[in-house]
Amino acid sequence: MLLRGLTWLVLFQLLGTALNVLVLPILPGPIIGLLLLFVALMMRGEAGESLQLAARSLLRYLPLLLVPPAVGVMAYTEAILNDFWAIVGVLVVSLVVSLVFTGWLMQALIRRQQRKAERA
Amino acid sequence: MIAVQWQAAWEAVIHHPLFGVAITLAAFQLAFAAYEKTRWVFLQPVLVSMVVVVSILLACGLSYDEYRDSAQMLTVLLGPATVALAVPLYLNLRRIRELFGPIMLTLLLAGTGATALGMTLAWAFGADQMILMTLAPKSVTSPIAMLVAEQIGGVVALAAVFVMITGIIGAIIGPELLRRFGVQHPAARGMALGLTAHAVGTAQALQEGDECGAFAALAMSLMGVMTAVLLPLAVLLLS
Repeated sequence: MLLRGLTWLVLFQLLGTALNVLVLPILPGPIIGLLLLFVALMMRGEAGESLQLAARSLLRYLPLLLVPPAVGVMAYTEAILNDFWAIVGVLVVSLVVSLVFTGWLMQALIRRQQRKAERA
Repeated sequence: MIAVQWQAAWEAVIHHPLFGVAITLAAFQLAFAAYEKTRWVFLQPVLVSMVVVVSILLACGLSYDEYRDSAQMLTVLLGPATVALAVPLYLNLRRIRELFGPIMLTLLLAGTGATALGMTLAWAFGADQMILMTLAPKSVTSPIAMLVAEQIGGVVALAAVFVMITGIIGAIIGPELLRRFGVQHPAARGMALGLTAHAVGTAQALQEGDECGAFAALAMSLMGVMTAVLLPLAVLLLS
């Protein structure tokens, strides 16, 4: 059952890759595949058991799959060390500010929507 | 004579096409067990695994290129895993519909804000044009960031590195930071983690719960699409 779900995921990824080459060079194949699968699920109205199983199993190991790209930092140690503080400063400060701002804004908007719904 | 054979066996093992997979799997399980046991934020599994793998590679005298080729078996699954994010997204469709307005507004304001802030800071620190364009797409998932960086004149490989550093820092300090600032709503926490720390943030958000993970996946993909479409346009218009 897991295999059937996995097959769908791979097929959508390949479909995304094809569209990436044909019409949408700006978006990577997997992202196009994600959007297509999302639309397909909405049209179908349900997510099959095997697809859910495959997605859950893959996503559980998402951090593991991200390790090889992260090791790529190794190839640029020198360039990073040269501008270490500038890079870390920019990355940390902008991350902290935008992370808090995003969470705060989203929460404020959700609460505003809830208050409106209560009054209506 | 025996010493020579030891040497040959060692060489055969470290240059075997599965060596990269083996050390990545081992390092990840070690890192994950350490994180589960201590729950200490700095033991973020991706970061610890990365440090362990890099140390092993350096100790064995292997290059990143060789490792990348031998870890292909894992990397190739990143594509289907990204596609799989559509499933939690779909399962939380009702919640997402309910919050459609807040999602779009947050995406527009916070998304552009995050990109603009990063570039302004880098400019203030005196980074040159090339680094500026490399830093611009740091909040989005690496395949998009690399494409965008190339289009607007940044360094592709370095863009992936900035993306990774941003994601790891976000996953480490994000949850605690959000708690300190009183952001408890799972949808808001997910949006914040996915929008600023892409896949690594989404992986972290999935651990907090289904809803949080779904909103992180949503924020990550929307931010990716928005950056891919709007950033090259903005750079074109501003320059």
